[in-house]
Amino acid sequence: MTNSSLEKTIDKILDQTEQDILSNLDGALSDSHQILDNSVTKLEDEYDKIVADGRKEADKLEKQIVGSSDIEARNKQLLALEDAVDRVFTQALEQISNSDRNGDYANLIKSLLDESTKVLGTSEVIVFTNSKDRDVVQSTLGNFAGSELSSETIDCIGGVKIQSKDGAMKFDNTIDAKIDRLKPLIRKEIASKFGVKE
Amino acid sequence: MTTEGGVQYSKIAEIKGPLVVVDDVDNAAFDELVEVETNEGERRLGKVLEVGNGKAIVQVFEGTTGLSISGTNAKFVGKVMEMPVSKEVLGRVFDGLGRPKDGLPDPIADQFIDINGEPMNPEQREYPKDFIQTGVSVIDGLITLVRGQKLPIFSGSGMSHNLLAAQIARQASVVGTNDDFAVVFAAIGVQYSEAEYFRKSLEESGALKRSVLFLNTADDPAIERIITPRVALTVAEYLAFELGMHVLVILTDMTNYAEALREISAAREEVPGRKGYPGYLYTDLSTLYERAGKLNGKKGSVTQVPILSMPSDDITHPIPDLTGYITEGQVVVGRDLFRQGVYPPINILMSLSRLMKDGIGEGSTRDDHAEVANQVYDAYSRAQEVRALAGIVGKAGLTEIDLKYMDVGDVFEKEFLSQATDENRTIEETLAILWKIVSKLPKNEITKIKDKHVEKYYQGE
Repeated sequence: MTNSSLEKTIDKILDQTEQDILSNLDGALSDSHQILDNSVTKLEDEYDKIVADGRKEADKLEKQIVGSSDIEARNKQLLALEDAVDRVFTQALEQISNSDRNGDYANLIKSLLDESTKVLGTSEVIVFTNSKDRDVVQSTLGNFAGSELSSETIDCIGGVKIQSKDGAMKFDNTIDAKIDRLKPLIRKEIASKFGVKE
Repeated sequence: MTTEGGVQYSKIAEIKGPLVVVDDVDNAAFDELVEVETNEGERRLGKVLEVGNGKAIVQVFEGTTGLSISGTNAKFVGKVMEMPVSKEVLGRVFDGLGRPKDGLPDPIADQFIDINGEPMNPEQREYPKDFIQTGVSVIDGLITLVRGQKLPIFSGSGMSHNLLAAQIARQASVVGTNDDFAVVFAAIGVQYSEAEYFRKSLEESGALKRSVLFLNTADDPAIERIITPRVALTVAEYLAFELGMHVLVILTDMTNYAEALREISAAREEVPGRKGYPGYLYTDLSTLYERAGKLNGKKGSVTQVPILSMPSDDITHPIPDLTGYITEGQVVVGRDLFRQGVYPPINILMSLSRLMKDGIGEGSTRDDHAEVANQVYDAYSRAQEVRALAGIVGKAGLTEIDLKYMDVGDVFEKEFLSQATDENRTIEETLAILWKIVSKLPKNEITKIKDKHVEKYYQGE
């Protein structure tokens, strides 16, 4: 091979390589433009997603914080109210306990005994009461044939507890038991006085 | 609420399982509340199951352990069991009998309501048709829950139904309205750790303030479980029909309830039905499930999601079987998906919401919802067939379209079904994923969706 033909071949290869490189560069440039264009949309989507996720997370956190502080505040209010209701109860019970055993009280005992014997279906009963009410109860028992006052006393604010003579049936009609039964209604009443509305 | 007390009887004839037989009883009434007092003065609650011939059979909710014939007294209170209710019960945690369990006092009651509830007048019932968004894609998209519906979740032992229940309780909401929404959650015979998880999960997500929790744990007496769903439904009815709220009631696990019923039935020596459950199991379950619904002229609604674990994953077991007769569809949790680590592992091919068609579409979700859901059901069903075929002939033996369906199955499980336990998806997000799945198919395979919707939402080639 002559020198000139060798040079020609080399030039040809160089030209081809140059063209290849240039076309590769063009290709790479257009590819990179394409990638950049695509990544803008992808980035925008990604950005929107991150913002949306962030908003969701913020909403969730807000709900958590507001929810738990609402509950905490409500619980404190409930405890304060219960405390106040308890104090009203204690004072009321104290007043009932220290009240006079006058004529009205004797009528109350009579109606309690009346109610109790009706519930048990017999007046053949043993009546229990506290030491303070013994005299009033004893004087009322004349109206209930067959009834007798027990020598034992019970611990209560007032009222009576009766038992059938065979001991099979008992009925608690003490003031304590009545208050216990009515407590939910009384609590509602007291709470409404404190301005709590359902 | 009665102001009269009851008579206390001290002649106990027999103590048998959870039952106490009291002698020489006059004037006791069926279902009457009874206070049983032990030798030590401890008081337990019970109710009258049977009366006659001077005897009363009392079912003691807190069990009869430690009771003896001598020294035990039974006081017949003169009223049925009532639950004190008011708006104040929201945000509270109660035990299985409706007593506070959160260290706070009893709620100040607005009303005292018989826990057995009043049957809904069928003529007054309003057909349920409003969508509830649970934030769980598979439920919202394919097994949609509507207000007033009863849609049970059939699961199996050890699966993630409790996670799902807590997620629904945290995320559920009514969309497109400002009506109040509340969740009543009754855990029946669950483990202590599960009960704590429910409580913490609602507390930490801020959802507790619109929820009421009734927690009967596994170590609580089994008989209490008879009462737990009833007190929960009583509160739900009050919130719905007195206060006009939309209430979602989640009852988990109803299998424990049915087992408590079986225990009582056995103690009463009743003739057993299937698997020892009483013959009246269907009737008893219906007295609970039928308390869901909407009433004409009332603003609120009671929607029920009872959860039951099927013994040995047997869907023909009496509990899921009878539940399925009463409820309006079912959500089935699949063991295979659970083993693959998919959450929530719901087997859509066995699941169905019978009222879905009325709660979706234009005006409630989106006009393409029903069609895209049908197409995805169809495609996933085909994907399952292709997977079975691939198991025999291998992937190489599948056609190009078979491979596309297989891809649809994978995308469905990975992107639609799978969801984080704290991920709350809107219905729009759910529908977007459904369209993404449909777009994996060539257009000529889309046969269940109108062209106008395909043009608008299809993203395929």
